[in-house]
Amino acid sequence: MHLKNPLTLQNKGYVFFDSETMKTFISFLMNQAELIAAHKKGESSYVFRAAENVDEVILDYPRTIQPLKKFFLPPRETLLNFNLEENDFDVPDMETKKRIFFGVHSYELQAIHILDYNFKRGNPESNYLKKREESLFIGISYTPDEYHFGKSVGLEIEKTEGMCLYIEPMEAGYYMFVVDDNGLKLLTEFSSETVALKTETIKPQPKEFQKKIKYHYNRLPQVFDKVYDSSVWKKVSEKCVGCGTCNLLCPTCYCFDVRDEIELDTINGKRERFWDGCMLNTFAEAAGGENFRDKLHNRTRHRLFRKFKYITEHSGELSCVGCGRCTSFCPANISIIDIINNLIEEVSLNS
Amino acid sequence: MELQTKDLYNPSMADIVAVEELTETEKRFEIQLPGDTALKHKPGQFVEVSIFGFGEAPISICSSPTKRSTTFDLTIRKTGRLTDKIHLLTAGSKVGIRGPFGNGFNASDFEGKDILFIAGGIGLAPLKSMIDYTIDKRDDFKRIIIVYGTKKPSEILFPSEIKKWQERDDVEFYMTVDHADADWKGNVGVITTLIPPLKLDEENTVAAVVGPPVMYKFTAMALKAKRLPDKNIFMSLERRMKCGVGKCGHCQINNSYVCQDGPVYNYLRVKELEEAI
Amino acid sequence: MSKPKVAFFDFTSCEGCQLNKLNFENDLLDMLKLVDIVEFREAMDDTADEYDIAFIEGSISSPTCVERIHDIRRRTKILVALGQCAVSGGINAMKNDQPSDWVREEVYGDDKYLFPSLPAMPVRAVVKVDYEVRGCPMSAPEYLHVLKSLVLGRKPEIFDHAVCVECKLKENECVLDKGMFCLGPVTRAGCDALCPSFGQYCTGCRGPVSNINKNGTIEMLKAHGFSVTEAMKRMKLFNTNDMEKSISWGNR
Repeated sequence: MHLKNPLTLQNKGYVFFDSETMKTFISFLMNQAELIAAHKKGESSYVFRAAENVDEVILDYPRTIQPLKKFFLPPRETLLNFNLEENDFDVPDMETKKRIFFGVHSYELQAIHILDYNFKRGNPESNYLKKREESLFIGISYTPDEYHFGKSVGLEIEKTEGMCLYIEPMEAGYYMFVVDDNGLKLLTEFSSETVALKTETIKPQPKEFQKKIKYHYNRLPQVFDKVYDSSVWKKVSEKCVGCGTCNLLCPTCYCFDVRDEIELDTINGKRERFWDGCMLNTFAEAAGGENFRDKLHNRTRHRLFRKFKYITEHSGELSCVGCGRCTSFCPANISIIDIINNLIEEVSLNS
Repeated sequence: MELQTKDLYNPSMADIVAVEELTETEKRFEIQLPGDTALKHKPGQFVEVSIFGFGEAPISICSSPTKRSTTFDLTIRKTGRLTDKIHLLTAGSKVGIRGPFGNGFNASDFEGKDILFIAGGIGLAPLKSMIDYTIDKRDDFKRIIIVYGTKKPSEILFPSEIKKWQERDDVEFYMTVDHADADWKGNVGVITTLIPPLKLDEENTVAAVVGPPVMYKFTAMALKAKRLPDKNIFMSLERRMKCGVGKCGHCQINNSYVCQDGPVYNYLRVKELEEAI
Repeated sequence: MSKPKVAFFDFTSCEGCQLNKLNFENDLLDMLKLVDIVEFREAMDDTADEYDIAFIEGSISSPTCVERIHDIRRRTKILVALGQCAVSGGINAMKNDQPSDWVREEVYGDDKYLFPSLPAMPVRAVVKVDYEVRGCPMSAPEYLHVLKSLVLGRKPEIFDHAVCVECKLKENECVLDKGMFCLGPVTRAGCDALCPSFGQYCTGCRGPVSNINKNGTIEMLKAHGFSVTEAMKRMKLFNTNDMEKSISWGNR
């Protein structure tokens, strides 16, 4: 199987912004549409939220807690409002609103691309796809920390597909690369004159990933052809406590649960969907109470197979984007890179 | 190209037109969609049934589309939050219906063949849609053999239909119970005990199997002992489903979504799916 | 439809769960519209003979408790254990780890023979419990969910996944990552991750998820700098009966 080759740093040229201009640009964007960007939360965490104040927008961050999926597949979403007395329901408005996602990393875009694939495939789902319309993405480069491993899954930091602009920070300010016409339009409207794009080559400081998968990403589907019965799964599950953090924060996990809740008047209520995860206890329980994946090692295997085999078989792309969330937020310090490298080791020993 | 999106989760509010008590825990509901719309289902498909405040669950359709087009039947076992409530409903009540979903049985896999239906417990309900279909189009099929097992005599579903099957010359019907009571005159033993005595033309026999999870492995073994080729065995599998449209992930068996690729699987495929049975 | 007759009873507990209900403010009035409260010692003097729903607070820890709970079970259609003492023995069950004689002497001194005592047991160790509302104090949203469900005649939907799930849905900063202790990864959700949402750690007051990886949990806490002794001590605070294999009624 040959995986699709991702494009990197496709651009039509760039302009230079100093820090002040960048702030003015962000303010300009905030007037154009709802601007979603990374913000600090708590002591040392980051979250995506609508910007209210330019000074709170963060451009340099390792990763947010929740990925961008929360804007298209919210953690809790009302599917229907119902009335028990009339035995009737209505559907909440799914208004499309223009949103600009500012300062997002390439893996977020790739994850959205994978979610798009899954929500369009078979039965295209309006709840997700309506929210996806009218979204513009402005990317930014990032410095890999000990958890990022984009390159190992074929995803360079500068992969600009899906973005309209791409920001490369430098000492005195920022290079603003124009990726597509939407990006050019934003810059033109901002400067209210013709934008003179520079095209001479610049060489940003090369950024190295600290974490690497031992094999080229193209070989991973073959590895997963051979590891279904690996001993690695049980080893991992000795440490795993099954909390589901890796599922919930994964930018390409999209499984959900649906529950009905009624109000205290016992007349009105809503049918809601919630993020769910295949690592959780009761995920594969059937009506008779039989749990088809009751062991932690089976659940871990299922999670990894969904990232590297099951969906890849028909999408032609890995469903892991190397953001490092499952590893950095795992309370038991389980590393997805270690799991994969252990699987590779086992495969190469046995071949 | 503009992609046509759908509001996948909105149920149609359908009428319950008749309710029949089958056993202590099972009832048959005849359902009519609003505006007499036909469900247009295939045997073996399912619908998502919901009652507001009580949730939604996948239920197999137990009637065949051949004779009736504007109503369909659901046989529902009382097992939990939603189904307990459904059992309290009477004719004239409304339920939410989405579907039909899943692949169902493909008539072409069965046409011109001897058909062996193997139903365990409530597995007779989904199979009945296909049994009715084959009887309604009797000339399209050769032998029809029905093998049915329940835990005890009080759990036997569809007694009036069973009587008709027994009376027909062109249907062979065998049944057994795991535990007999004082009035029971028939076979006693698990369902797989009925398979060895059958005289089958193995190359031309197609089996359709539905039952509780534990039944599949042993039934497959019994059919293998009769030298039935794997490709002639079909099984309908049950999983929890929240959406029915291939999104929520709950019904996934390895790389297969039961609500999309199933619930009916060929045994060759079942053997590839390690988590299936 | 007549309103269900509801009664509240307290056993060995601090009665905080019952008090918690009186703090519901606006919801309290709406709640009263749904049910007839026929017995509630903390709020009224009336008593009744039969109930549709009996809510039980507290653990069973004396022979008198056993008699009383059997009597209530006979008179109620539905019995709900309210709060962690009733669900698992709760904090009271810490004494189960100690020699009974020593415990009674510490508490009652020379009068210890006047107060017969049993190990602190969950209600389900003595009578059939239909539903459970966990937490110390009981989780208010879960209690309301159970009450609404029972009024509507449906089985409540109780989760068997970790508090982590609710933290992640709310995008809370991870308490463990801040260097604090936390039992959120293995404690049952249903509290809407109340404590971590306010920067506090999860004490495990709702009990462990049903198939807890106990060794994994201890390894996890070790990796975050807690000793095995401390990890076990903290895991047992509310859940001695669940954590100690030797105490058989802790397992389901």
